[in-house]
Amino acid sequence: MDDIYLITILSNIGMISFIALSAYLLLVVGEISFGQQAFFAVSAYGSGIATAMWGWPIWLGLLWGALVAGAAALVVAIPTVRLRGLYFSVATLAFAEMVRLIFEIFTYQVEIDGELVGPDGSDGFRDIRAIYDSNVSAFEYMLIIYGLLAVVLIGFLILERSRLGAIFRMIGEDPMLTEMQGLNVTKYKILAVVMAGIVAGIGGALYAHLATYVEPKIFNVMLGVHALAYGLIGGLGTAFGPLIGVAIDIGLLESIRAISGYRMIVFGGLVAVLLIVRPRGLLDEAAMHWLRGRWRGLIRAEN
Amino acid sequence: MLEIDGIAAAYGNIEALRGVDLLVEEGGITCLLGPNGAGKTTLMMTIAGILKPRRGTISFLDRNITGMTPSGVVRRGIALVPENRLVFPDMNVHENLVAGAYLRLGKRKSQVQQDIDHVFERFPRLQERSKQMAGTLSGGEQQMLAVARALMARPKLLMMDEPSLGLAPLVVEEIFRIISDLNADGTTIFLVEQNAHMALQVADHFFLLEQGQVTFSGKPGQLSEHEVIQRAYLGKGPQRNQPAADQGRPDRTTLPSG
Repeated sequence: MDDIYLITILSNIGMISFIALSAYLLLVVGEISFGQQAFFAVSAYGSGIATAMWGWPIWLGLLWGALVAGAAALVVAIPTVRLRGLYFSVATLAFAEMVRLIFEIFTYQVEIDGELVGPDGSDGFRDIRAIYDSNVSAFEYMLIIYGLLAVVLIGFLILERSRLGAIFRMIGEDPMLTEMQGLNVTKYKILAVVMAGIVAGIGGALYAHLATYVEPKIFNVMLGVHALAYGLIGGLGTAFGPLIGVAIDIGLLESIRAISGYRMIVFGGLVAVLLIVRPRGLLDEAAMHWLRGRWRGLIRAEN
Repeated sequence: MLEIDGIAAAYGNIEALRGVDLLVEEGGITCLLGPNGAGKTTLMMTIAGILKPRRGTISFLDRNITGMTPSGVVRRGIALVPENRLVFPDMNVHENLVAGAYLRLGKRKSQVQQDIDHVFERFPRLQERSKQMAGTLSGGEQQMLAVARALMARPKLLMMDEPSLGLAPLVVEEIFRIISDLNADGTTIFLVEQNAHMALQVADHFFLLEQGQVTFSGKPGQLSEHEVIQRAYLGKGPQRNQPAADQGRPDRTTLPSG
């Protein structure tokens, strides 16, 4: 496979899927975050520093990035999860902008082979070359992205069938009623924010190594807004929902060159229309309920 | 069983409860009646730990539970069937029932299944609708589901906030029959009601709450239903513990007669 254009698009879809899943997880617990790009950014820088400056192997860099993102999410979660609705959204947005502005002035460079390597404020962070130095081809890297995405997606599917997943949905439907079932809602929300941070972090680390260059302005609020919109388009009934959203936006709107100039117009319109006709997306809870019923019916008919 | 001593609660500057004393005896049905805005729901929310009281203590089975978190209160054995927000609408009936038992689902899965079977025996209609989304049930069925879910927590005390609200008379009778049955099977019940007629039929003991204070405490026969209804619906203002129907005192609020 050597169609580099196709590989690039598929890789992008894969990486953006992580941040879409991250925003989706918070939508499931009933919180709208405009700040998931912050965890994507923290991990992109963190993993880049680990591999390019500290000489860590790439897999350890990815793990480190995800962990740093998770830790950042914990720091955000503790003071913010008690906020309701709009207040949580504003707090996450403020945090993400704060992170972006910190990276605008964050300089930390070391000399490697006579060249300065490391984040240099608004000039960005160049030469995150780990995958090229270890001769991973673009195609192989795409497989790594999709391998990790498959692991995360399977994790989501298991979560949705588990006790924890059911509690997340209960909190999303009615936090007070959930509390009345004897469950500590604050604790579960902190857990959800940390998990979402880690998932966004995996995407960020993958992104930094594919692009080899990151700069603060990439992680502006539009990235977070898109991440949110993917779940709202694709549906909040299943983890496949946000992936459908990503596929529609990047796979269709951005990649078909004839319409790519109108991407934001079409995308914005699509979000607006869907919020009116299907406020919880294409694959919403009711659709999933119906699909599962049909599926069970099919299995019964087979037997 | 449940002792409430001098509870005061406020929303900002507005005092909703102004020193409420109340006792729920084990094994009975205790009823709290009062007009709109008397503070009945506020009292329920305060007992359940959702609102924090300004003053006073709440103790349950001789242990102080004042200011405890809602989950802590449930763990102690008090389940609340709240007003209006009864069920998780986008979850099916079965999932709603399991939701009531999450505290012990990890350790005792077979016991939870037994309890579900038991609840379905009591509410056959819920079994028929087991896979139906809770939000699509009728009002009476949602109320039943809310009661059934509360039972899944195996409460020692079941608190219900206006279980008859917005239901057709026949359904109300069914709900009250269920309440009596549950009580006969050993669950202590603390009920908040506006439907004084039905409540007085099942209650062992009742309290009148008016303007944030308990103004009467006694057995159903002690105050004529007429008087109770007049106070519970029209809220004639605080009249301190006066079992007699008429004290010959002018009412604070005079309503146009007719």
